[in-house]
Amino acid sequence: MNAEEIQAIFFAECEESLAAAEQGLAACMAGTQDDDTVNAVFRGVHSIKGGAGAFGYIALQGYTHTFETLLSDVRDGTVPITDALIELMLRALDTLSDHVGAARGLGETPDDAALQAELTAAMAANAGSAPAPAPAAEAQPASPPTVHAHDDDDEVTSDFDFAAMLDDITGSTSIAESSDAPDDDADTSWVVKVRPHAGAMRNGSEPLLMLRDVIDFGAMCIACDVSQVPPLDSLDPGTGYLGWTFAIPGEVDEAMVRDVFDFVGDECGLAIGDDAPMPPVRLPEPRALAPVAQAAPPIAAAPAPKAAATPMAKPAAQPPVAAAPPASAQTAPAPSAAPPPAPPAMGQSIRIELGKLDKLIDAVGELVIAQAMMAQRLAGDGLAATEELALLEGLTRDIQESAMAIRAQPIGSVFSRVPRILRELTASTGKHVRLDVSGESTELDKTVIERLGEPLTHLIRNAVDHGIEPAEERLAAGKSPEGTLTLSAEHKSGRILIRIADDGRGIDRERVLAKAIEKGLVVPDVIMSKEEIDLLIFAPGFSTAQSISNISGRGVGMDVVRQNVKELGGRITIESEPGSGTTFTMTLPLTLAISDGMVVNVGDQTLVVPLANVVESLRPEPKEVQGLGAHRAMINVRGRFIPVLPLYAAVGAAGAVERPEEGVLIVVETEGAGRAALLVDAICDQRQVVIKSLDTHYRSVEGVAGATILGDGRVALIVDVDGLVANSLSDAGQFAAGQFDTGFVEAA
Amino acid sequence: MTTATRVLTVDDSPSMRALLNHALTTQGFDVSQAEDGMAALDWLALNEVDVVITDINMPRLDGFGLIERLREGSRHRDRPILVLTTESSEDKKARARAAGATGWIVKPFDPAKLVAAVRRVAH
Repeated sequence: MNAEEIQAIFFAECEESLAAAEQGLAACMAGTQDDDTVNAVFRGVHSIKGGAGAFGYIALQGYTHTFETLLSDVRDGTVPITDALIELMLRALDTLSDHVGAARGLGETPDDAALQAELTAAMAANAGSAPAPAPAAEAQPASPPTVHAHDDDDEVTSDFDFAAMLDDITGSTSIAESSDAPDDDADTSWVVKVRPHAGAMRNGSEPLLMLRDVIDFGAMCIACDVSQVPPLDSLDPGTGYLGWTFAIPGEVDEAMVRDVFDFVGDECGLAIGDDAPMPPVRLPEPRALAPVAQAAPPIAAAPAPKAAATPMAKPAAQPPVAAAPPASAQTAPAPSAAPPPAPPAMGQSIRIELGKLDKLIDAVGELVIAQAMMAQRLAGDGLAATEELALLEGLTRDIQESAMAIRAQPIGSVFSRVPRILRELTASTGKHVRLDVSGESTELDKTVIERLGEPLTHLIRNAVDHGIEPAEERLAAGKSPEGTLTLSAEHKSGRILIRIADDGRGIDRERVLAKAIEKGLVVPDVIMSKEEIDLLIFAPGFSTAQSISNISGRGVGMDVVRQNVKELGGRITIESEPGSGTTFTMTLPLTLAISDGMVVNVGDQTLVVPLANVVESLRPEPKEVQGLGAHRAMINVRGRFIPVLPLYAAVGAAGAVERPEEGVLIVVETEGAGRAALLVDAICDQRQVVIKSLDTHYRSVEGVAGATILGDGRVALIVDVDGLVANSLSDAGQFAAGQFDTGFVEAA
Repeated sequence: MTTATRVLTVDDSPSMRALLNHALTTQGFDVSQAEDGMAALDWLALNEVDVVITDINMPRLDGFGLIERLREGSRHRDRPILVLTTESSEDKKARARAAGATGWIVKPFDPAKLVAAVRRVAH
């Protein structure tokens, strides 16, 4: 893995962090302001900061630091959560998003000076009342301890031969009792006295390694205090009885030495200077619980106050632990109220490069085809009932579903961008819009999700810009001054439905029609249904805005939305009620790769009808089909007349059944044109088909959604039912020729 | 023959894990990864390790909680555990110490210092 790859991971993570923070803030705004929520926001920003530092994005790091500091105050409860604060944090998040974009090279580094000042002000506003933790920290000046301890501290009074042992331990060769080594270069070298306490061995530390570090600086161990070693029977192996005196070369500064012992904090007594007494021995304290053992007198009966004996740390090392700041409330429960063993693997995930996943999906697609081909071959040999074949088919389907599920993601990742869009719209239009979101967890294919952003953004801009009225107009109409935008997603018969509904003024059909006539999109005295007029807003180059605003009228019209949705193999419909609002419904496939289809024969051709469209199939009695002019026919299906469309005519197949009563009618449901009955010769199979795009292999063809490879290796076209039906029914159409078709879906 | 020092890195940030992994594996360490304290506990229940490096702020079980849980049992009581922190304030250090951390590494870390810190606590 190289630096770029890690960087790519970081940016993916930034997106997630931003989304998580955004969600957290949205929850805060909605009134959920508990620790978890605030912490989620904090963690999002915190994690971006960590990466920014690691990758050297200075501006991003600096900005996140300010933001994080404020969030930290909020988390600790020193800054109260107010509406103004949430609003500030939302703006800060938007700028953070821009910063991330800039780091990625997708834009300019935002000018955040004013915002940073605001963020800082928000912290400072409360700094007075809160105990500022800052000054307590960082490097203590290197003042030698002023304690007056026993004179004999440094004296080696032992009659053991510790020198040899120490030689071993420290690797130093110059241990001498009351050595005069320091005199040799007294002018440059200085002395440090070290006595590791019991705690220095705790927590996986090893004092020996620290002493080695000191020696690595070129220090010399000039004395070892063994005076405190008790008789063997009262010796506690966990206690630090030994004290070492080192002569440190002059070029090594104190900070370096302190750094070595920084890890263990006050668990290692440190005294600087020849005159400083050796830090006293401290008896071990029971783990975790602070004050108890302090009562026990140190063996050496060092009368010096404890604080002074630990010059290394700030005066009271214990209190901050005991009087743990509020934040540790979340961490504290761990030891005793330990949650039950981790719910196994819940929420665990691994990150996979998308390319690998696509390869898997492709391979699974081929597997599905191969399986079908084999089934066909075996059927030809009279082995269709082979048990293993059914097993294989089941497994193939399982694998395929699992593979598709890997690509599936909750649509929430797209929805979470909406609040920001609305904030920007509020800023530029002055319209306040409340957002209702449902179905965020609805999953669909990643590619679909990724390509959904643009049309969704456009529809939302359109809804706020054109749909929702200014506050005065709303009040005059008896509505709440605040508009409402409803965003929802749901699964419906193998597709996903996404609705964007506003409670605005609805489509002004008169104006739309007038505009369309003016633009020459339709002939002047056309008679169109309400729905047809609504659909005109998707016509290329259509715009009803009296002045083109810079929001929804960026030179691209709603036709781009329609185009985007079409490219995803979906369709879009409009329901609008003057005065009460407009709802756009996008219907999209869950995946672009595989779908269930009905394989039918039409003359010399084999076609696939997507199962999602199929309602039923029937063999009509002659009297059930009624002619309607030369080329049209209707069939009465349970009291409902639906048009009969001969598929052979649409695809130009030769030798097909032309009389409905001789063939099979497949009743299909379409999104825009209601039901229709497709006339085919026969149904031969119903199975999964791997969709191959016709665009990439040939070109986009109207009425064809794609192609697939059948079990016998032949290529079959997949019928785009919606497009085909809509086109066929509007052949007598009222539109100016070729200008605009109501079939929204042509080919995937 | 010495075998590679085994390090478990615990961080909810995939990029941070990737960075740690890169910095350590290129220096011959045997690196495993966990995405939070819970995942680390699960992993440690089944695997052996020489040094643990953990982030503090993580979902489910944070770094302090992880260390406390590990120190409770006998198996990891003396395991060197380094804490990754973005701040080096005395307050943070005191908390890390109290939780039972062996040492800390300040983010953003310098790979050489990271390796030195790990080498220094590995025993």
